[in-house]
Amino acid sequence: MNTVTITDSALIVEPQGLDKLWSFTRKLEIPLDHVRGATLDSGADSEPKGLRAPGLNVPGKWSGTFTKDGDRSFWNVSAPGETVVVELSDEHYARLFLTVDQPRSVVDAVNLALQQH
Amino acid sequence: MGRNRTFDEDEVVERCAEVFRRTGYEGSSIDDLVAATGLHRGSLYSAFGSKRGLFVLALRRSAASGALTDATTDLVLVALMELAWRDPEIRSIAFGILDDSPGDTATTLGRRLVDRAVETPDHSDTRKETS
Repeated sequence: MNTVTITDSALIVEPQGLDKLWSFTRKLEIPLDHVRGATLDSGADSEPKGLRAPGLNVPGKWSGTFTKDGDRSFWNVSAPGETVVVELSDEHYARLFLTVDQPRSVVDAVNLALQQH
Repeated sequence: MGRNRTFDEDEVVERCAEVFRRTGYEGSSIDDLVAATGLHRGSLYSAFGSKRGLFVLALRRSAASGALTDATTDLVLVALMELAWRDPEIRSIAFGILDDSPGDTATTLGRRLVDRAVETPDHSDTRKETS
């Protein structure tokens, strides 16, 4: 699980509880200029994710850094079927795969913040 | 970042527009768009940013074709029903398309809705002839 916060200038993703440990990440802060959009993608977690390093991969849970086809992605997914995908540019990660509370409203909030930014 | 683009963007956008017209915005999953375009999920994301980004492009391209075709009206209807109330940019694109088209907006949209309701769906792929 992750909390997503949007400020005037940044998108902040914070893995919750032990997920900080599994994902080797306490906090990601992405300037809104580097966020291209958010999508609710129910099928994202059923695709091959690529090579994991470092991180955790147990059934139904993916946490950490995965690299596939040259794209480095951050995963912290624990509820399959309602993954939020955030596409980035000019960042360490090409995209983020996240489980959040209220995925639809997070997706709308991110896309709206990008229009207002 | 990722691979070079080796696909025809216009064609990809048109195929996605077709999916949106048929199953709506929320009803179209990324899996549906991946299947319709033959692109990898990662390529779709890196090319268009999000499902919303793809829809915006589909709406703009459709509008750029000039006359208000049934295909464009269907996409505008999807935009109005599902997105316009919560997405200012999409609302403004949809209203722009309607402002540029001749005739009364409510009549145009209403007529298209009713026409669409009585169109015969094409199930030839999955349905066997029984007679």
